[in-house]
Amino acid sequence: MHPDDRGVPAEVQLRLRVNGVLRELWLDPRVTLLDALRERLGLTGAKKGCDQGACGACTVLADGRRVLSCLMLAVTCEGRDITTIEGLGQDGGLHPVQRAFIACDAFQCGFCTPGQILSAVALLAEGRAGPDDQVREFMSGNICRCGAYPNIVAAIRMAAGDPGRAPF
Amino acid sequence: MHPFEYIRATDVRQAVATAAAGPAAAFLAGGTTQVDLMKDGVLAPQVLIDITRLPLRGVTAGGGVLRVGALTTMEELAADPVVAQRLPVVRESLLLAASPQLRNMATVAGNLLQRTRCRYYRDLSCACNKRAPGSGCGALDGHHRMHAILGTSEHCIATHASDLAVALVALDAVVHVHGAGGERAVPLTGFYRTPGEDPSVENALEPGELITSVEVPLLPEGARSGYLKVRDRASYEFALASAAVALVITDGVTRDARVALGGLATVPWRSRAAEEVLRGAPVTPEACAAAAEAALSGASPRSGNAFKVKLGKRTVARALSLVAGLPG
Amino acid sequence: MTTATETARLVGADVDRVDGPSKVTGAARYPADFGFEKLAHAVLVQSTVAAGRIRRIATAAAEAAPGVLTVITHRNAPRLARAPGGLGIGPPAPLQDDRVVHHGQYIAVVVAQTLEQAVAAARLVEADYETVEPLLDLDDPRAERVDNAAGRDVSRGDVAAGLAAAEVIVAATYTTPVQTNNPLGLFATIASWDGDLLTVHDSTQGPAFARTALAVAFGLPETSVRVLAPFVGGAFGAGLRTWPHVVLAALAARVVGRPVKLVLSRAQMFTSVGYRPPTVQHLKVGARRTGELVAIDHQGIEPTAVEDDYAESLTRATAVLYDCPNLSGRTRQVRLNVACPTWMRGPGEAPGVFALECALDELACELGLDPIELRLRNYAEVHPQTGRPWSSKALRACYEEGAERFGWARRTPEPRSMSNGPFLVGYGMASAYYGYVQAPCQARASLGLDGVAVVRSAATDIGPGTYTVMTQVAADALGLPLERVRFELGDSTMPPAPLQGGSGLTAALSSAVHTACRELLRVFVDLAASSPASPLYGCGAQDVTAAGGRISPVQASGPLPGETYTDILARHELAELSADGASARRRDLDAEPGIFAAKFAEVEVDPDLGLVRVRRFVAAVDGGRILNPKTAASQIIGGTAGGIGMALLEQAVSDPRTGRIANATFGDYLVAVNADVPDIDVIFVGEPDPMNPIGVKGIGEVAIVGVAPAIANAVFHATGQRIRSLPITVEQLL
Repeated sequence: MHPDDRGVPAEVQLRLRVNGVLRELWLDPRVTLLDALRERLGLTGAKKGCDQGACGACTVLADGRRVLSCLMLAVTCEGRDITTIEGLGQDGGLHPVQRAFIACDAFQCGFCTPGQILSAVALLAEGRAGPDDQVREFMSGNICRCGAYPNIVAAIRMAAGDPGRAPF
Repeated sequence: MHPFEYIRATDVRQAVATAAAGPAAAFLAGGTTQVDLMKDGVLAPQVLIDITRLPLRGVTAGGGVLRVGALTTMEELAADPVVAQRLPVVRESLLLAASPQLRNMATVAGNLLQRTRCRYYRDLSCACNKRAPGSGCGALDGHHRMHAILGTSEHCIATHASDLAVALVALDAVVHVHGAGGERAVPLTGFYRTPGEDPSVENALEPGELITSVEVPLLPEGARSGYLKVRDRASYEFALASAAVALVITDGVTRDARVALGGLATVPWRSRAAEEVLRGAPVTPEACAAAAEAALSGASPRSGNAFKVKLGKRTVARALSLVAGLPG
Repeated sequence: MTTATETARLVGADVDRVDGPSKVTGAARYPADFGFEKLAHAVLVQSTVAAGRIRRIATAAAEAAPGVLTVITHRNAPRLARAPGGLGIGPPAPLQDDRVVHHGQYIAVVVAQTLEQAVAAARLVEADYETVEPLLDLDDPRAERVDNAAGRDVSRGDVAAGLAAAEVIVAATYTTPVQTNNPLGLFATIASWDGDLLTVHDSTQGPAFARTALAVAFGLPETSVRVLAPFVGGAFGAGLRTWPHVVLAALAARVVGRPVKLVLSRAQMFTSVGYRPPTVQHLKVGARRTGELVAIDHQGIEPTAVEDDYAESLTRATAVLYDCPNLSGRTRQVRLNVACPTWMRGPGEAPGVFALECALDELACELGLDPIELRLRNYAEVHPQTGRPWSSKALRACYEEGAERFGWARRTPEPRSMSNGPFLVGYGMASAYYGYVQAPCQARASLGLDGVAVVRSAATDIGPGTYTVMTQVAADALGLPLERVRFELGDSTMPPAPLQGGSGLTAALSSAVHTACRELLRVFVDLAASSPASPLYGCGAQDVTAAGGRISPVQASGPLPGETYTDILARHELAELSADGASARRRDLDAEPGIFAAKFAEVEVDPDLGLVRVRRFVAAVDGGRILNPKTAASQIIGGTAGGIGMALLEQAVSDPRTGRIANATFGDYLVAVNADVPDIDVIFVGEPDPMNPIGVKGIGEVAIVGVAPAIANAVFHATGQRIRSLPITVEQLL
């Protein structure tokens, strides 16, 4: 597919599996995965906090691993399984991490929250919910300007099945 | 972002041939450098070759060497059991870098080829000899707290930001490169170019060449190694100063030493001078301090980063002390 | 707050946030999340010089670029009026002439069909400038100085005489850098016109104020403008003004005849929505050898923009925190070619108290006195400036309970006397204060046949938990369970509310909500009481209690069954009843309000590498009545995290000749990450305050005040090095 005479990039066809559903899109190759999710698929849970990989608000799961959707071109995600916050609930209810975030008040304005939750889900799957310092370190790729960090750690502890550390 | 033609590569030869054939082309792997700089307008390839489906992933060990596919992610390499057991300096350099999300995206080769974080390089409104040769260097009398004190020239003082490269340079890794003219192997210690007269040339790659794998000689059994990264905040920040260190010690004497510095130089900085000081000498705090002095010799700081001379020395000394298991 | 007939069940309880489910599922919609048919995208072009004129601006290439709908510059922009600043006059209207007054000033807006097209086209706009030497330094002799611009300079007694008579004097200069609010939510505006009716989704902290600003900018009646902000991704003060990009988004939508979305870049968040101005503060503190303060002279200097009047006093807390007979507190503004500063969490007090509390720590050291003892010896039992009693003040309890929780008694006073392995350990403390603010506020409560009460006010919830605590207040006032109350905010058509800033919202809004709900109850009771068929026949509002959704007459032997709100509506064949409530600051109390806290930090310092880490923190806060301890603790925790950044990490730096912010990214400007923040212990002390019927004092600002000096004082205790310049960096300690 070549750009036309005016340099307009032709759109590229993309088949993207998002939250288990296969979506077909024609996209400007410049569109990031983040903007494809938000602007084209109406999945606005992933947030644009910096658009340059420095804050984590755009965190989604790709094939189960946490990644930054603002630095991924959507067209490169052909064949990959993308999970956004909208795809996290279980059987119409909340995922244990979502429930723990509410119980532990692990958010304030809520903007970083979808990214924090997906990052936490991945952290648990990575087996990194060990001592607090390990959780803090491996959640440091998600900035929270409201400063809810201690409660985020408590929520992860709770979701990991350690009720003794919940602050309330 | 400037418009570009998107091509998905199917095999290495085709990728390299495509890159060599047409207008300004770039490879796209993890994208953490490439996409970032294209958004800023710093890089504007006309053709973007997505190499992520090439079979260049995976880690194998044999014959005293670790072979790492170029597209292996940072997290994958850090999780490798041979790396954990035999090359702690590599594992630590990976896990202290970036964030888990970035480490799931960024590839080993991409990490070695990452571009500087310098805010004069990354801002099109600023003078930058690396981005626009001859335009000047805004960092020289601007803000250069994070900039280099080693390997600089009057044209560029930008720091090389990779932690992994520092570890691999200490270990004498070799990059395997595939180009239009065939394959070649380049020792990493000879791969990077200091800015000199033309900061736009950063390494030994010819246009259109692709790194396909990296070979890392394993440290001998019983060697100790580690990576110390000093930065302002506790995580998710590039180094103010870092040191990759590997030591073989028997009977309290250093038989072999590897020392490389990060956060301080325009390229990953191997310090054979520091290694000389250590080799054959008893392992003592004095030896560590003397090696650190040697490592920073020739440093040319500017007013905003002069503190890095002292910090760099203390970082090297501390790294040596920690890896050697010295008390205190 | 509670009368004999009202029970506090939910107020004071750890209720989970009612907007929790929408936030954790991604359903909550922030300004950039709203979809519109035929939405176009706007991107801004900024100046690359700090002062001068645009000599030439070339837009032809941008206009011809794919997908571009329009390019607006000063050459073709219509007349716009200056939008009022919310507080202060605000920045000038954008694109009205060729003048450039700061680096990063907007010089064009490009609108295209897609975001990618708009970004690419914006890069094609070229400008040449005729520059003049910009005013960038506080010391520049050419810059205009403005004294007492905030009108809060204060003095009492004779500070010169006091200092002359002092037995001990500490004199020092403290500096704080530019720090930026940098909420995680990029400020975004979506504007759409329907004829002359403008609707805007925006990252504002005051929808009613944004409505006024836009109405003025476009010369419209206020009824023609509607501003919506049900969720905002943080603001910390940056949303207290309607900035030029909001006006430009509306302008772009008008020009292209389609809805336009404009999302600021992270770099623009450093230049274009305000920031905490840098300060230079000279403190002279005089005391007797026994520790009694005799004189404090506190002078602060900070920049403001050449075309704005933003001013914050750095000495308000100095004037009221201690019983000191001779005092002078002055703040001077210097007009520079910089972007407009604005409020950033704890404005005035956060930097001002840093200087004061570090100076007092130096004094304590000089006198050989425990730092808390020094504060106690100068405790202001009454307001030191007016002599009136405090409406409530539990600062003593803050010191005592905070010290106890922290283990302050373990502190050995000598610097470098405590350690943990190779690390030096330091304990530091500071007092904190923020002024009480209460502006007029209104709310409306309605209850319909579904039995759900809906209470509305044009407030915002930028993170403190406004949705939740107002639901609690309303539920208690109406005797309804939480799930049958809904609080709505974020719409300028709702009853007016103050800006969510200065800790002024919760007191005002909770009072208005309470009043509206009690009025609604009275309306129901009066209606029910008129009918013999009602169990409330003949009752007055004082004769009933409301609980569990039922209104019941109270008798000596206990309440009778009564009836539900919906029973009353059904009997009278009504779909809904409503009532309004209002609140305003009471002027009849001969007392001074204030919000107080004591902060305690433990740091570990690696003396060799100059690294500081905060290991423990205790905040003891007197915030009056705490509506929800869970969300209130989160406020304090969040402010502490912000204070850690303020003390150790955050500084925006600019190039000397151009004023360009040289570290305008989240990777270069360092905010605290998870690994920087330890567990933070929060204690609430004190009692409900009589300034408002709910007893709330507001804690959002005091949350950050005192954190930086507690840390700086701890660093001194650990190392013996007194760092008077924030942030405390490696190079200052090496």
